[in-house]
Amino acid sequence: MAHPSQLGFQDAASPVMEELLHFHDHALMIVFLISTLVLYIIVAMVSTKLTNKYILDSQEIEVIWTILPAFILILIALPSLRILYLMDEINDPHLTIKAMGHQWYWSYEYTDYEDLGFDSYMLPTQDLAPGQFRLLEADHRMVIPVESPIRVLVSAEDVLHSWAVPSLGVKMDAVPGRLNQTAFIASRPGVFYGQCSEICGANHSFMPIVVEAVPLQYFEKWSSLMLED
Amino acid sequence: MLATVAKQLKSHPALIPLFVFIGGGAAMSMMYLARLGLRNPDVCWDRKNNPEPWQKLGPTDQYKFYAVNMDYSKLKKQGPDF
Repeated sequence: MAHPSQLGFQDAASPVMEELLHFHDHALMIVFLISTLVLYIIVAMVSTKLTNKYILDSQEIEVIWTILPAFILILIALPSLRILYLMDEINDPHLTIKAMGHQWYWSYEYTDYEDLGFDSYMLPTQDLAPGQFRLLEADHRMVIPVESPIRVLVSAEDVLHSWAVPSLGVKMDAVPGRLNQTAFIASRPGVFYGQCSEICGANHSFMPIVVEAVPLQYFEKWSSLMLED
Repeated sequence: MLATVAKQLKSHPALIPLFVFIGGGAAMSMMYLARLGLRNPDVCWDRKNNPEPWQKLGPTDQYKFYAVNMDYSKLKKQGPDF
């Protein structure tokens, strides 16, 4: 989850999010270098008593400041396109889960083997135990096996919602009447939080998403327990 | 008009990289658009002979422009025949 006064991304919990994080570092470094250069030039221009009245044009510097920015842009574009195509790969999912958005809760259906479905409401603030996170905890978490490709089919039952978990690098709009597909792999066990990312009414800020990644035998135990209820 | 541009380029050769990059960028975008129009299975040009090309997808064909990690030759068909 996000920490108070956090500046960067949350720690990556999926390989795609790792790629996004590293690309962001790469692009941000380029942006910092360019901004520092520009700031230095501005300060140098402004803080001198010298005036240059005789240079009108110069072919050499024009060539440099055409080719260098083009090269920098290519240096940003190539990793970006690689990640874009990487995110679209078909990765043979082990499990398919349907996440349906309602006003104002999510419901998850695991229908690969048996009919397992449950709703996931936010835990009200007054019902939180010490150590739990306000406006982020839910009563039923979406449990998944760790290190398995998971396919999530996202849709909505009433208005637009969006299923987003930042640490997994996943966001997919939930559109009523439409089935959207996204996939991810949780690289490590843990609990990953997200919030509804499309305005959907009064309690839009109060329908969080909680994904819990556990080893496969615990996932099998959890699913048989949930089926009994 | 091209003659005027060529004459101006001779006195300002620094503009040549500009033409190269802008021209190259425009050419690449047009080529990708053409690829999308002609190769994308979602597009139907010939309603009589090939009305629904999206029904003819094979499991080992690659339709994306660039496959990062995927070895398409190993995939098998998962849907039913019809």
